[in-house]
Amino acid sequence: MLTLRRIGPLLRPVAGWIALAIGLGALAMLANIALLALSGWFITAMAMAGLAGVSMNYFTPGATIRGLAMTRTAGRYAERVVGHEATLRVVATLRPWLFERLLPLAPAALADLRDGDLLTRLRGDVDRLELVVLRVVAPIAVAGIVLAVGLGWLAISHAAIAGVVAPLLVLAGLLVPLAAQRYGAGAAARLAERQARLAATLVDHVEGLAELTIYDPQERHVARLLAESDTILGDEMRLANASAFAGAMVGFSAHLALVAAMATAIAGFAAGALTAPQVPMLALFSLALFEAVVPLPLALQSLPAVRASMQRLTAVTEREPPVSEPAAPIAPPASGVLRFERVGLRYPGAEDFALRDIDIALAPGLMLGVAGPSGAGKSSLIALAMRFVPESEGRITFAGTALSAFDGDAWRQRIALLPQDAPLLAATIRANLQLAAPHAGEAELKAACDLAGILPFVQQQPDGLDTFVGAHGTKLSGGEARRIALARALLKPAPILILDEPTEGLEPQAAMALLQRLRSVRAVQAILVISHDEAVLRACDTTLRLVAGRMLAH
Amino acid sequence: MRASPNDLAFLRRLRPLAARELRLTILAGAMGGAMVVLQAWWVAGLLDRALVGREPLEALILPFAILLGIVTLRAVAAFAADRFGFAAAMRVVPALRRALLGKLGRVGPSGAAALPPGEIVSALSDGVRAVEPFFSRYLPATAQAAMLPVGILLVVAPLDWLSALVFLVTAPLIPLFMVLIGKGAEALNQRQWLRLQRMSGHFLDALQGLATIKAFGAGARMVAEIGATAERYRHDTMAVLRIAFLSSLTLEFFSTVAIAIIAVLIGFRLLWGELDYRTGLFILLLAPEFYGPLRTMGTAYHARMEALGAASRLVALDALPEPVVAGGTLRPEFGRGVAIRFEDVHLTYPDGRMALQGVSFAIAPGEAVAFAGPSGAGKSSIQALLLGFVGPTSGRILVDGHPLETLDPAHWRRHLGFMPQRPKLFATSVRGNIAPGEVDPDDGAILRAAERASVAGVIAGLPQGLDTAIGNGGRQLSGGQASRIALARLFYRDAPLVLLDEPTAHLDDDSEALIHAAIAGLKGRRTLLVNAHRPTSLALADRIIRVENGRIAVEEAEPAEAAGPC
Repeated sequence: MLTLRRIGPLLRPVAGWIALAIGLGALAMLANIALLALSGWFITAMAMAGLAGVSMNYFTPGATIRGLAMTRTAGRYAERVVGHEATLRVVATLRPWLFERLLPLAPAALADLRDGDLLTRLRGDVDRLELVVLRVVAPIAVAGIVLAVGLGWLAISHAAIAGVVAPLLVLAGLLVPLAAQRYGAGAAARLAERQARLAATLVDHVEGLAELTIYDPQERHVARLLAESDTILGDEMRLANASAFAGAMVGFSAHLALVAAMATAIAGFAAGALTAPQVPMLALFSLALFEAVVPLPLALQSLPAVRASMQRLTAVTEREPPVSEPAAPIAPPASGVLRFERVGLRYPGAEDFALRDIDIALAPGLMLGVAGPSGAGKSSLIALAMRFVPESEGRITFAGTALSAFDGDAWRQRIALLPQDAPLLAATIRANLQLAAPHAGEAELKAACDLAGILPFVQQQPDGLDTFVGAHGTKLSGGEARRIALARALLKPAPILILDEPTEGLEPQAAMALLQRLRSVRAVQAILVISHDEAVLRACDTTLRLVAGRMLAH
Repeated sequence: MRASPNDLAFLRRLRPLAARELRLTILAGAMGGAMVVLQAWWVAGLLDRALVGREPLEALILPFAILLGIVTLRAVAAFAADRFGFAAAMRVVPALRRALLGKLGRVGPSGAAALPPGEIVSALSDGVRAVEPFFSRYLPATAQAAMLPVGILLVVAPLDWLSALVFLVTAPLIPLFMVLIGKGAEALNQRQWLRLQRMSGHFLDALQGLATIKAFGAGARMVAEIGATAERYRHDTMAVLRIAFLSSLTLEFFSTVAIAIIAVLIGFRLLWGELDYRTGLFILLLAPEFYGPLRTMGTAYHARMEALGAASRLVALDALPEPVVAGGTLRPEFGRGVAIRFEDVHLTYPDGRMALQGVSFAIAPGEAVAFAGPSGAGKSSIQALLLGFVGPTSGRILVDGHPLETLDPAHWRRHLGFMPQRPKLFATSVRGNIAPGEVDPDDGAILRAAERASVAGVIAGLPQGLDTAIGNGGRQLSGGQASRIALARLFYRDAPLVLLDEPTAHLDDDSEALIHAAIAGLKGRRTLLVNAHRPTSLALADRIIRVENGRIAVEEAEPAEAAGPC
């Protein structure tokens, strides 16, 4: 329950909408129940009057029936509109909330998010929480209100009927769903895991299709996939059985309630406690009450999943930020030398230093090359410079002031970075570039594209800079995406430029041309180039070689 | 996301797979429907005897017992209909997955490249699963919607023509209005779908690009933008939903008003003595049941929409052209190396891309040849032809003098060693990765292959040696280690023809050196074809063939010069 309570604050901004949706839902449902009951009362009363040969006031019940029909119809519609409005408002609250929480953690405390699997799970969790109003909160609250009002009215009208109907409501609304859930719990847990495994095997299969075609002529991998797929069916069958059972049982309880209420009411009629029209009225009312119970199994079933999602989400948002910001930050100077003095970095929980005894002086106008095998600490070097992680020993300064004295975001304004895997956002090329410089004009954008060697490609696109790229947009090759990311880095007006493998995927001549253009255009910028291309390194003023986290003497 | 007639036809074609289960679910539905009518009749009769006939409860014990029986049968029928519906889906889902995997195998790696791998995976997992509700819910609900209202109408008509008339008039109006309003909403929905995709894409990208966003100091801006995007989406979606919900409003309106009218009409005729109480109550009780199946149809329609959405992905996979790769029955014995000859080979892919335009060359057994040239020049296509992933559009390929299309494809593939640009590690043991197709792999041979690929040390350091799980979910290996495992796979196969596609493109210098040394061990002993970018890779070859724009550009005899000092 504790984790569930955490959802509360997220829903508070839309509490009014949620309450309105619940109120409308309860109103529409009560109107429908009353409509059925009143219809039963009305025709019985008319029949009795007809048999007795007396007249009766049929205007009031007739008008009430019409009124209830309208209330039900309009109420249902309004409830659905308002419920979806509330849900979409939750979406608009939850997403920025989550993003704001994750920002201080990125990237060092979110390294595992690079795993696509985890990201997909996070997205699934967000989706599930966004639907919590529509799927869980509203049905349970509506059922609560309707059952309280309905049972109360039954108790006032004829207490014995409330006595026989209430246990059946508990059976259908609580016991049956819980039993079904328990029956299916093991299968549900296994199913999630097995489906994830099947998806992983499918990824293997599709990505490794070439190798399998050559090395697996007997299609053993297909057999394995099908075997995994077949084991899932057993679990799905069990869950389907559980839900079919729950559905049939809710219906059965409802009709049992009708039978029981009828018998009780007939006894009441014989005893003179009830009039004839009241008998079908109360019986039909009892039956109709179960309408409130029908959505409960699904709502209760979602509860554990919602709780698990919230748990996973808070487990991420409540992580410790890797860097603590200074209480009274100093504004970073506009230019200066970025200096590493005997800097070491050890990640939390790691035994060994990722970097140690690093001395660098990156002065304006200097082009510094960094080389080293993968895992030597090149990305740790970037993370330190960007202040994504704090140094464990030594000192990093800019223009003589320690980086820890600056506000992180303010400091990062001084560095333009092209990371090794520079993702583009699902947006236009222009929006992607303007991430670096929100107010850059057409000419600046084009100049950056030209420098990065991507301008011809951009100009070939029918929509030019407004071409939509990323997921669901124009597909870019790895090289094209990288050139755009480079243009973006070049666009940022910063005294320091850090480029991780800027020439990857370029032919040697094109790579050298790019470097020379960079040198001539960016004479005052300090440039740090990470590369494994010896020709690129030779073109730098000095080269730093990293091996196993240490600088190699050169 | 437009539902095309193709998608529906695709789903319909799957129907015979579950014919028996679908029949059973419809039968159970029909029995349930009969119980509905019977129950209404019995309840009306009971109340008539108790209220009009003033019979005491004790006299009604038997009728009550029978009513309990009817109620029980009704529940059993509901359970059975649900179960059989799901059983029908469970017939279709595995068969569909099997068929699509078979299709993927026939399309092959080159043909499958037409779709992003993620799309194929999602079609085979989520896509196949989304078909389930179409069979478990939509088809049974359609049958029920066709049967029960007609049945009720047939029962009611002889009893009370006026109520039957109300049913008859309102029932067709409901689907009519639902279709009219639904069509409008669907058109809006198509646009909405793309927006939703883009919004989700935007959010997911923002999460993935958190580091980049932070590096550019755009965090606060992005928070505002995510909020604004969601707000815009809410605004647009509500405009769509307000109309979409009108279709269910119509259904509710007609059914509720019709029930109210029937109640009032029955009431007056009861007052005037024109109708007996039992019949009147019976019809009133049936009225909601008449509209019930139509209402279920509304929700089942969503299952149909979802299945159709999934079907479009499945159809995309199902419609991939299967490359024409002619195969014969010849199973020649190959020596230690294979002679290869391309004679004026052209290759045009199904999407119209001309990959090769008259390529001719000859490679002697045991020769090591590098193919160089810019990406997209046709190097990979030459390998795809030799691997049998595609067949030439024209021209001839000869191996040891036999036309490639006369060889038994399985036999030929068993004599190939191959390593793609980014070798794939499968989520299984090291053993399973080095000998993927083997039922009973030879551990000695595996270790020897690992030794030659200089990955034996890595394997020895793993906790369970050859049994250690690697790949997704298993132990993480570095890119260089993964490539060497893939190389061990190639050595284990010990094939006379070895094809390498940029074997070191993504590796650092140390890993590259290890791999080059291992590959160099093959020189002169096997026929070796390497697609290469880097000078160091080119240096492996006896000869370099340059490919440009689908043609052979120059043949250089001496690779050492081109490689330069390094």
